[in-house]
Amino acid sequence: MVANVFTKTLRDQRRSLIGWSIGITTLVLVEGALWPSIRDMPNLDEFLSSYPDAFKKAFNVGAMTTGTGFLNAELYTLVLPILFLVFGISRGARLVAGEEESGTLEVVLVTPVSTTRLLLGKAAGLLLGLCVLGGVTGLSTWLASASFSMGIEPWSIAVGSVSMVLLGLEYGFLALAVGAVTGRRSIAIAVPSVAAVGAYVLYVAGLMVDSVSGWLPWSPFHQALAEGPLASGLPSRFSLLVLGALVVIAVAAPVFARRDIRVG
Amino acid sequence: MDVAIETHGLTKRFGRRRALDGIDLTIPPGQVFGYLGPNGAGKTTTIRLLAGLLRPTAGTATVLGLDVVRERDRMQARLGYLPGSFVGYADLNGEQYLRYLANLRGGVDWNVVTSMAKRLDLDLGRRLGVLSHGNRQKVGIVQALMHRPELVILDEPTTGLDPIIQQEFLGLVRDVRDAGGTVFLSSHIMSEVEAVADHVGIIRDGSLVLVDSVEMLKRRALRRMDLTFAGEPPQSLSAIAGVRELTVSGSTAHLAVEGSTAELLAAAAPHRIEQIVTHEPDLEEIFLSYYDGRG
Ligand SMILES: Nc1ncnc2c1ncn2[C@@H]1O[C@H](COP(=O)(O)OP(=O)(O)OP(=O)(O)O)[C@@H](O)[C@H]1O
Ligand SMILES: [Mg+2]
Repeated sequence: MVANVFTKTLRDQRRSLIGWSIGITTLVLVEGALWPSIRDMPNLDEFLSSYPDAFKKAFNVGAMTTGTGFLNAELYTLVLPILFLVFGISRGARLVAGEEESGTLEVVLVTPVSTTRLLLGKAAGLLLGLCVLGGVTGLSTWLASASFSMGIEPWSIAVGSVSMVLLGLEYGFLALAVGAVTGRRSIAIAVPSVAAVGAYVLYVAGLMVDSVSGWLPWSPFHQALAEGPLASGLPSRFSLLVLGALVVIAVAAPVFARRDIRVG
Repeated sequence: MDVAIETHGLTKRFGRRRALDGIDLTIPPGQVFGYLGPNGAGKTTTIRLLAGLLRPTAGTATVLGLDVVRERDRMQARLGYLPGSFVGYADLNGEQYLRYLANLRGGVDWNVVTSMAKRLDLDLGRRLGVLSHGNRQKVGIVQALMHRPELVILDEPTTGLDPIIQQEFLGLVRDVRDAGGTVFLSSHIMSEVEAVADHVGIIRDGSLVLVDSVEMLKRRALRRMDLTFAGEPPQSLSAIAGVRELTVSGSTAHLAVEGSTAELLAAAAPHRIEQIVTHEPDLEEIFLSYYDGRG
């Protein structure tokens, strides 16, 4: 039953969430299945040290001799972040801008529901959708670790999943916010995509170039990935990601409330 | 509340383009107001300003006594609105869609929905995505009326409806008025507005050019008459004030009268009239004259 904007947002995500969950589970399990043969490579250390320096730093290749380090390098540093970003940005852009462009927003807004409540309901729906994906990522990682004796601590798995959710949240909420401010889906996709690429470049550059490293804390990728992200402690930096996500919504809400709604 | 809609100098600019230019409109409750004008005149712009979807560039508007900018959500709670191009969620069926909106509004009596759907011959079990244009429009009409709002604003509501459903729809509009509510509807079709509206407003190039009651308009409109005399129609008819387009065929004079017919009848009576046929006054002509700027 679709009782409010939040449950409607969840309902709209259900098919997509099923598809993404299957995809992520498959990816994590296949990657995990590779672990035993990597671990048993006789000259693994030698092989890893042959990687270029930049690569070693960005993916923490030195740690790849453990199951945790292996999954961090192979999945949690680039592939999973990209997947969470794509999910967050594409869903986030659809929520307000997509609905506005299709024309369905018009009638929904002429109800007691305010633009701000609509925005918050949609944000909450996206958050829960990302949490579902995070849960699936965590569970499949735990399953892979158990099946292929990777020895990843459940706590690390939880931290890694939270980090993915927060990255998706930061850029998904940015897409939602830009959509609420502009009403255009293309802009709502473009802005967070460009921002994410920029932040990633800053992250990698910060790891390699000393003069840039002072800027590292500003990159959401640093905030999310610096500790692993499969890591034993919950980094306090995560709070910056939460803060960033909340700030973009808080900035968008009053603009959304004051601007013209476009006709389909 | 003594006015349903009130605007003062309501103006909307899109960039440099002035879509609406200082509209002053007062509509008391309990009437059907028809809003007419050619394409691009500013009807949809007015309606979307009143519905709180656009912000005025200048001027103010109150709907049900509530400011459309400052008290928007309270106003929207009490308003029924049908957009000019209504779009619902293609993946929901009529019932799911209307229940969602009913939940957002609260306090909707579902019996109202089912009875309206029945009247409009609308199948609530089909997905909106597979409905025909007209059937989709019916969903839009039901969502605008289902919470029994005091004021309903409808932008070209009959587009896509077949003649029978149009009649049903006009019946629904009258029901709103009979229950004391107000209906504001835009249209291009004079006959439709004439059939249901008490008052009309005509807008052209963003300015109101006329607001009047249908009754007054009809009194001012050209009334076509056929007068059949016992003998030749008298020559003097064409000289009477207000008489236009006089043609004679046999003993019958076909003519049009603007305004009162009293003088004509007084002049014709001594000439032994056998039959008088009066046609309904044609408002269309008035509107066309306003449309192209002659009015
Ligand atoms: N978002 C917009 N940006 C720029 N111009 C706009 C916008 N919306 C409307 N206009 C312009 O404002 C004017 C009034 O448009 P509006 O849609 O109100 O006309 P209308 O009377 O509803 O016409 P129609 O009978 O064709 O529906 C038009 O010239 C239109 O091009
Ligand atoms: Mg229009």
